[in-house]
Formats: sequence, C-alpha cells, structure tokens
Amino acid sequence: MTTSLYLLRRLLQAVAVIFIVTVVVFGLLHSLPGGPARGILGAQATAQQIEQFNSEQGLTKPLYVQYFLYLGHLLHGDLGISYTYNESITQLIVERLPKTLVLTILQAVIALVIAIPLGMWQAAKRNHPVDYIATTVSFVAYSAPVFFLGLVLIIVFSQTIPLFPSQAPNGATLASVFANPAALVLPIATGAASMIAVFSRYMRSSTLENLSEDYVRTARAGGGSGGQILRRHVFRNSLTPVVAMLGYYVPVLFGGALVIEQLFNYPGMGLLFWNAAQSSDFPVLLGCVLVISVATVVGTLIADILQSVIDPRVKAGRT
Amino acid sequence: MTAIPPVMAQDTTAPLRDEASGAPILDVDDLVVTFSTESGPVEAVRGLSLEVRPGETLALVGESGSGKSTVALAAMGLLSGNALVQGRVCVGGTNVVTASDPVLRHLRGSTASMVFQEPGTALDPLTRVGAQIAEVIRNHRDVSSAVARTETIDLLRRVGIPDPESRVRAFPFQLSGGQCQRVVIAMAIANEPRLLIADEPTTALDVTVQAEILELLRRLAVDSGTGVLLVTHNMGVVADFADRVAVMYRGEIVETGSVEDVLLAPRHEYTKRLLAAVPRLKTAADYPAVTGRAQDVVPRDTDTDSVIALNDVAVRFGRGPSAVNALDTVSFAVRAGETVGLVGESGSGKSTAARVALGLIAPTSGTVSLFGQNLRKSGVRARRRLQAGIGVVLQDPVASLDARMSVGEIIAEPLRVHRRSMSRHDRERLVGETLEAVRLPAAIAGRAPRELSGGQRQRVSLARALVLRPRLLVADEPTSALDVSVQKAVLEVIGELQSELGFACLFVSHDLAVVQDFCTRVVVLRSGRIEEKGLTGETLVRPTTDYTRRLLAAVPVPDPIVQRRRREDRLAALAAGETTAGE
Amino acid sequence: MSAVIQPGKAEFSAQVAGPTGSRLAIARFSRNRLAVVGLAVVVFFVLFCFLGPLVYHTDQLHTALSEANQGPSGSHLLGTDAVGHDELGRLMYGGKVSLIVGLAAGLLATVIGTVWGAVAGYVGGWVDAVMMRVVDAGIAIPALFILLVISAISTPDTFALVIILGFVSWLVPSRLIRAETLSLKNRDYVLTLRAIGGSHTRAITRHVLPNSVSTIVVAATFQVADAILLVAYVSYLGLGVQPPATDWGGMLSAGLTAVYSGRWWLILPSGLAVILVVCAFNAIGDGLRDVFDVRGR
Repeated sequence: MTTSLYLLRRLLQAVAVIFIVTVVVFGLLHSLPGGPARGILGAQATAQQIEQFNSEQGLTKPLYVQYFLYLGHLLHGDLGISYTYNESITQLIVERLPKTLVLTILQAVIALVIAIPLGMWQAAKRNHPVDYIATTVSFVAYSAPVFFLGLVLIIVFSQTIPLFPSQAPNGATLASVFANPAALVLPIATGAASMIAVFSRYMRSSTLENLSEDYVRTARAGGGSGGQILRRHVFRNSLTPVVAMLGYYVPVLFGGALVIEQLFNYPGMGLLFWNAAQSSDFPVLLGCVLVISVATVVGTLIADILQSVIDPRVKAGRT
Repeated sequence: MTAIPPVMAQDTTAPLRDEASGAPILDVDDLVVTFSTESGPVEAVRGLSLEVRPGETLALVGESGSGKSTVALAAMGLLSGNALVQGRVCVGGTNVVTASDPVLRHLRGSTASMVFQEPGTALDPLTRVGAQIAEVIRNHRDVSSAVARTETIDLLRRVGIPDPESRVRAFPFQLSGGQCQRVVIAMAIANEPRLLIADEPTTALDVTVQAEILELLRRLAVDSGTGVLLVTHNMGVVADFADRVAVMYRGEIVETGSVEDVLLAPRHEYTKRLLAAVPRLKTAADYPAVTGRAQDVVPRDTDTDSVIALNDVAVRFGRGPSAVNALDTVSFAVRAGETVGLVGESGSGKSTAARVALGLIAPTSGTVSLFGQNLRKSGVRARRRLQAGIGVVLQDPVASLDARMSVGEIIAEPLRVHRRSMSRHDRERLVGETLEAVRLPAAIAGRAPRELSGGQRQRVSLARALVLRPRLLVADEPTSALDVSVQKAVLEVIGELQSELGFACLFVSHDLAVVQDFCTRVVVLRSGRIEEKGLTGETLVRPTTDYTRRLLAAVPVPDPIVQRRRREDRLAALAAGETTAGE
Repeated sequence: MSAVIQPGKAEFSAQVAGPTGSRLAIARFSRNRLAVVGLAVVVFFVLFCFLGPLVYHTDQLHTALSEANQGPSGSHLLGTDAVGHDELGRLMYGGKVSLIVGLAAGLLATVIGTVWGAVAGYVGGWVDAVMMRVVDAGIAIPALFILLVISAISTPDTFALVIILGFVSWLVPSRLIRAETLSLKNRDYVLTLRAIGGSHTRAITRHVLPNSVSTIVVAATFQVADAILLVAYVSYLGLGVQPPATDWGGMLSAGLTAVYSGRWWLILPSGLAVILVVCAFNAIGDGLRDVFDVRGR
C-alpha cells in the first residue's frame, strides 16, 4: 500500500469517527431536559418562549431532518451563539483553542522528551533500585488526580518557595501567553507529570520486549556493544508502539487541560468549558465537545502518520 | 583434482582437508552449562568436548533438548544471563568463557560469526539491510561509510542476492525468508571470520531454498578456509555439508567421527536409532519399478466414491490489483481408505487447500463435496452431520490443544458436539479406548496439556480426531514440529490405525520423504496450481514436470556418498540452463 | 511408552515436574514487590474504611460548629472540617463510597467493554469496523468533558453515578478484549472445533471466553484503578454526593479553598488516600499481568 492510499484510508476512518461524534453531540443536545430550546434559551425561559423558539428553529421537524440542518450549520462553521457571553461560539473557540493547543503541545513535547529516554534507561537498568524508585514515582504521579497534583505544586513552588506564579498569563491574544514564561511552568509541569509517568512505563515495557528479540542477538553476534544496539536498533523498534499510544492519549491531555486551566486560571478552551458548565450554557458546552473531539481525531491521525514514518511496515499493512 | 569444465561447480568434498592441520579454530573442553529456571537448575550441557579445525565442517547433530544450540551460543558467549558456564571454549586461542566483554565484542563478527535459525526475525525490521551489513563491517574495521557501502553491495552479490545495488536499501519485510538468510550470511562473512557457526540455518526454509543456502555456505567455507560448526537435526543436511559429525544426546556427545563413518556405520545405540527413524527419500535409482506402499488399504465401505473432492476450486484473498490467488483451478479427490499427500513449498497453497476441504475457507469459485454432498449447498444441520465424519490434526502441538482443558476433556469434545446423549461413563470409556489406540496411557486423561511433550500432544490431537471413528482424517503437517524419532512413532500410529479403522487421509506436508512413505497418491502444488498428481510411486520417483524433479533433487539424503552424487547431478542440471526459483 | 520412542525422550516438555498452576502464579506474583505492597495497601484500606468506624467512633451526620476548623489534636486525630466533622472519621466514611463506587464502576466498565470487544472481535468484518469506529468516537470525547456536561444538567445519585462512570470508561477495555478475541478465534483448537462441526456458541463459551479470562482480569484491575481516580474528580466537577455524605473526592474539593489558609489536614489525608489506593490497584494489575503474561497497555 502506498503512502497516499494509507493516508486516504486513515482519513476516511477519521471522517467516519467525526460523523459519529456529531451524532452523539446532536443526541446530547436533544436529550436535554426541556429540549434544545431550554438549552439555548436558558433555564429561565417561559413555555411560550420555548414554543416560539421551537417553531422558529424548525424543531418540530423530524429528527433526521434536524440532524442534517445541524450538519449544515456545522459545515458553515456555525456553532451557535452563547447566551452568557452573547457571542458566536465559533468566535469564542477561535480565540481560545490556540491557547489550549499551545499548553497541551508544550506539555506533550516536554513529557515525551523526558519520558522516552527515561523509559529506555529504566529498561536497561531493570530491577536496579533506581528502576524501582522511578517506577514508584511513576505510579504515584499517574495515580494522583491532576488538580491535587497541581495544588501540591502550587503550595510547594508558589507559596512555600515562591518560585513560580500560581496564575497563568491572562491576556487576550496568543502572544500574551508567552509574556511571562515563568507563569507557564506550573501548568505545564502539572500536565506533563502524569504523561511522563504513563509514557515512561510504556517505553520501559516496549524496550524490555525488544531487548529479548532475535535481532538484538544478531547484532551482538556481529560485535555490537550494548549501548550501540540500544541506540541504533532497540530505540526505534521500541518507539513504534509508544507512538501508537500517543493518539489515544490526546483526549486525556485535553481532559487534563480542563482541570489545569481552571486551577491556574488559564484562558483557554478548558476554562471556557468550565465556566459554561457552571452557568449551564449548553450551546457552548456542546460546541466545545465537538471541537475538542475533532481535535482529538486530528491528533490521532497525526500520531498515526508519525507512526507510518517511523515504521515503514505500517504502510505495507504488516506490523 | 580432476579436470572440470569451467561451467560446472567445483567438487568441494575433499577440499583443504590437508590444510586442515594446525590448531583447531574452535576447541571446546569439558563444557558444562546450567540454566537457572523457575523450576530449578537445568543442566543443558554436561561435560562436552569437541574441536573444529580450519577448513573443516563439523556437524553437531541432536534432537530438541539435546543442548546443541546451547553449545553454539556458548561458543560466541551469547548465552542468556541465567546460564552458568563452566569449562573451556577456545575460539582462535581466546577462552570465551572467561573473556571480558570488550574481548568478546572484538571476537564476534570478525573471528567468529553466527547464522541463526529464524531469518524472518533475525534482522532489525526498521533498518535497511545494507545498513545492517555495513554496521558489522564498521564494528571491526575503520572504513568510511562509502567503502562500507561498496563492500556491502559486493557481499550481497557474493551471497547471491540479485540486483544488489537496489536491494541494499530494502527493509527486511520486503525480502523473502531465503533472502533474509542470505543477508544474515553476508553479515556473518563480512569480516572473513575463521569460524562460522550455523545454528539450524535452513530449518525454516523451503527445501529448494535450503539446498541453495547450503551450497552457498559450502562455497564460502571452502573459498576462505573457514571452519564451520553446523548445528542441525537434519541428517540429510549433515550428509550434504559436513566432514565430521558429533551426535549429541541429553547434553553429551555420544559419538563422533567422519561423516561416512557415523552415517553409514554408526556405533552408538542412539545414533543407530536416530538414523533408523529418518525418512529416506527413494529415488529412481533405488527402485526400478516401485508403486508406493506395499499394500493398499482395503476400504471399509464398498462404494469407491470419493470421501472428499475439490472441483475446480479457486480461492482469492483481497481485492483489486493486490489480490492473491491462493488456489487456482485445483481439483483432486480422496477415495475411501486411501491416503493422499498434498505437497508443495511455502506459498504453494497446500494449507489453503486443506482448509477449503475442512470448510474453514469458502472457495471463491468451484465446489467442495464431502462424502458426496456439496458442503455449501447443505443446510447447517446437514453440514454438521457431515463434519462429524472428519478428524483434524494440525501442525502446532501447543496451539492445537486448549491449555485450559484436561486431556480427557479435549478428546471428548467431538463427542459432546455430535453425541450429546452419550452418558459420561460411555464417554470416558471411549476416551480411554482411543487413548490406548494412540499408544498413550489411559491415566493421561487427567493431565493438562502443558505436562505433555510435543509427541504426546500430537497423539492427543490424533485421539481427538479419531474418537468419532471418522471416515476422513485431514492432517496438516502433523509431525513437522516434532523430532524425527517422535515423528516416526506418530506416523506409525496413524498408519496402524488407518489399517484398523479404514479411514481416508488427506496428508499435507512439505517433507517429500515422509509423503513417499505414507501416501498412496500425491498432489504437487505450486503457487496455487496443481503441478502434477498421481501415484506416489510414480510421481515422486519419476516425476513428469521439471518443477517436481527439481523439488526432489533438492531433498538431501542422509547418505554422504549418495548425497554427493545427487548434489553434483543437481548442480549440473542447474548449470545446464534450467531456471532456478531465482531468489 | 514403547521402546521405539526412547530417543525422543530428550524432547523438551514444558514444566513437566514443576509446581501446579496456581502455586506458580502466586510465586510469580510475589516476585513483583510493588504488586505485593499494592495488595497490602488495598487490604489495609478496606479494613480501614469498613472496620475502622467500629473502632473509632465519630459523628458524620450532625454538624458541630463549635469544633469547626481545628487542627489535629488528641480528640480529633486529623482535625475537623468547616462544619465540625472529624476528618479521620470522614476519611473512613468517604472511603467507603469511593471504594464501592470505584469498584462497581470499574467492573461495569469491564463487563460492557468485554461484551462489546468480544462481539466485535469474534464477528469481524464490517460489524467489527463499525463497532470500533464507535469506540474511537467515544475515546475522542474526553471523559471529563462528558462528566462536566452531565453535571450541568443534573446531579445524579450514587447508582446513576456508577452507571455514568461505567459508560464513560468501557471504551479502553473493549479494544483490549477485541484484540484478544481476534487472536483467540484463530487458534488451532478453535479452528479444529469449527472444522468438525462445532458451533460458534461452543467456540465462544468453551474456548474463547475462558482463555480471555486473564486479559479480562488484568483489564478489570486497571479499570477499578481508573474508576476510583475518576470518582475523585467527580466531586471536583460538581457531580458528587451531597453532604453530609462524602467521598474522598468530595473531601478534596471541599478542602481546596482552605488550603491557601494553611489548613493542610483538609486535603492531604484524602489526597494521599486516593493516590495510595489507585496506585495500589495499578500495581496489582501490573503484577497480575506478569503472572498471566498478558500483553498490551
């Protein structure tokens, strides 16, 4: 299978998934108590207002017609209006999504840069005391609720030892995010911590599996040293399954962003979502769910493409 | 040396033996290897001594568990961490047992190299083959990458890979098993080693590819005067390649000697038994007019209709341009009471044909009739009743039995499917009888599969297949994963039971010698098509097609003198212009 | 065995004279020290939460504002919260809810995931493709987002919470079980059964399911760990149980604001409890995976 055929197939799968997501979101919208009218007009709407809204918006039409109308709106980039902010939701998201992306991408990059070498090193030093310590720390970081972790970091590094501010930069534009880099440290560290824990474990077990593979024995028989074999052969082979897991970790990253942005008051999509939940602003809530899901699907696609770059067997359909 | 026409390959059987004087390149003295496992220490090698001189090939023969691979790995210092090694193993003067890591690294790949059994997994799947060969070169010699690349291409040419300039950039998954093995050999000879250790180098390969790889190894060894330690269980390979033989049993050497002495006049009981169990391919030279098995089995049924028949069956996997025709217009039948062998190399479609016969794969076109009924046209219940007349034995002794069931439950399963009303007492009785028939103690019914050996497992599989007294036994490589002596026992059991119970047998195998012995008729498959078919005594002794002839010529015979002649004939035929399966 | 097969005695047979299956399993598990510690931790917390209140009596129903916001002392080993409840008692009380809801939700997620994954894996074809796209879609929506949306709609009771958490978490085990089922349905012993006329039902109930047990058990352990962690988030997101009932997550969110004023006893014990228990289940899952030699995750 050539590259383009493989990409096409993955793209089609991604589109199918996005379709299903729109159905889910649509379903949620219509399963709200009081229907979407209440969702959009708010809890205070009177029965009359709801009736008027329903007939205006065509909510009396059959469900599948409404679904296609909904899809039509989506394709035009219309996610509706937020009644708390009184702005187009699309506009709100366009403002805030990039900031969330900056946060999550930075978290992911830093986490991977630390986790991958750490995992490999742990595998090489298996059952050494240091391996146990690193494993234990990983377990703890992985088992702690993100907000608890963030809180502990704030207490230690912001209050007890005032090193970093506990509030993230709050400007409106994307550039303002970088105005005070120190303010980004704690949010990123909180998000990266559990990702480092998870991916170092993956890398460790993947490396361990690869160390007992035949090709390692062949390389040793050719006179290669342990370090050389690790770097040149084991590393890339161990990386493949880990990259595959990246795709599935993207929603976890976004979920974490929700909590982190709330904790550190970072003006991204997570905070938007949080505030909308507090005020039951359903259009915003569902619009965000849709966008985040699409972002996740795109992220998974990117991870898959990355995998096919590292591993040429993926395109040929044999792994 | 006699005068030889330039086109023909050199006679290489009496090479540099005169130069094979001087210090042995491999000198093993009282080697003891103990593994510490979950269930306690296991002594794999007990006080073994052998030597390999420069220019000679020593074959280390034994069955599974004899410890021969352990010896090979010990010679390179490649045993796993839980192995305790005692004794002396000197490679070119250096004692591998006590050598430090840097010394070992210096030795591996330059003084001594190794070729392994599974070519498919021996190479790093994510690195191009050229780079892997170049790495071995640059591990030991300080050359630029350009020089290494030129040498790599040269090596690929030497090991017989066509179009080396472009193959250099190939990934292992793009090469066949035989080609991967050639790459591994190229890595092994890259630095002109004085000792080459080959651990079952051709076991995972087709017989024609095996012949080519062996020829390659012999030529390389002779050209460079390398000493070769050849580890194998295949006596034919030994007869083809080795100068001297050492027979291993349970961690010790029981007999050593020249290849003629050991193979033609064995002295030790074990060697004699081992050689007696090796299926021997009969050639036209042996039998002027043989007709397969001595007596045809008298079929129980009076009608001679076929038990199973494939008519014009085609099987296609996938769609569009990348579709694969696993079978193409295949027609053959098995009559009541007879044994039909399905032979072919890997990719020939023989396993696919067996699965079509079993109803596991639906043919894309063509019909399959079981006991006279078209399988696909029958309803579910009718199908099931028909399938009660089939017994199945597959290749892998481990995967054939569900590890979570006891032996008794496994054998009783067909009874539960087709004789639900049978009482428990009757079931157990029948299971016991069947176990006895396959020469297993009835008490084994309470054991779990993991407590059994490979041969025992296959006999349990056989018992399961026969418990309903079927009319047809479909056996897909039933003994290929077993040691040769166990194989003989299992095949004997099948043969006896066939005489007793009168079932027909569809026997899939790649081992032509076994098929010759066991089957009355044979079907030769090649790339999904029938190459030829007929009585075993004719088709496999005097074949009509070139392909079958080549296939037979490539099978090594465990008689060194005969094998030498066969090799010469084969090389002559190749040189005379017939095309090889150019790998 | 007859003399004919004597040379074959050398053939290697796995674990012929070894210990029985379960003894070997226990030995293998014990070798993983973290797993053993994890087991001990879980046992400790179960005893702590369910038997503790019998030993250490506290009143978790009535408020006692006069005792509010006190630090650890002789009468209140871990201090009191904003309405005067004893924190240590609350830890036991909340632990019961966290553990029960977590266990139930984790098991529910495993059951749903197993059924979905097994069907997809066994049936294969387009059914499998569609079912797995649904799973992909479900994974694409972060669980926390869904939970927050639900919190905006209503506050569910404990039973509904278990159902919601179960339905949010079944996706990951479904993929694992599907992979296991795919591999099992092509095993030789299943093929043999089908060839001689065995039904699909028999293949699934007698062969595929029993052999998937190890994967399911390992998946279940990790699911319980994830569920207990998710329960801790739930109160933070506004879905939690109503006071005076509480769970560890509730204790954490209630105490969050107090932290800045230095009242560490309000969040540290509950936070540590969550971490320890989740960690413990993860370690046990890891150990079980070693025992069963299960791949994946």
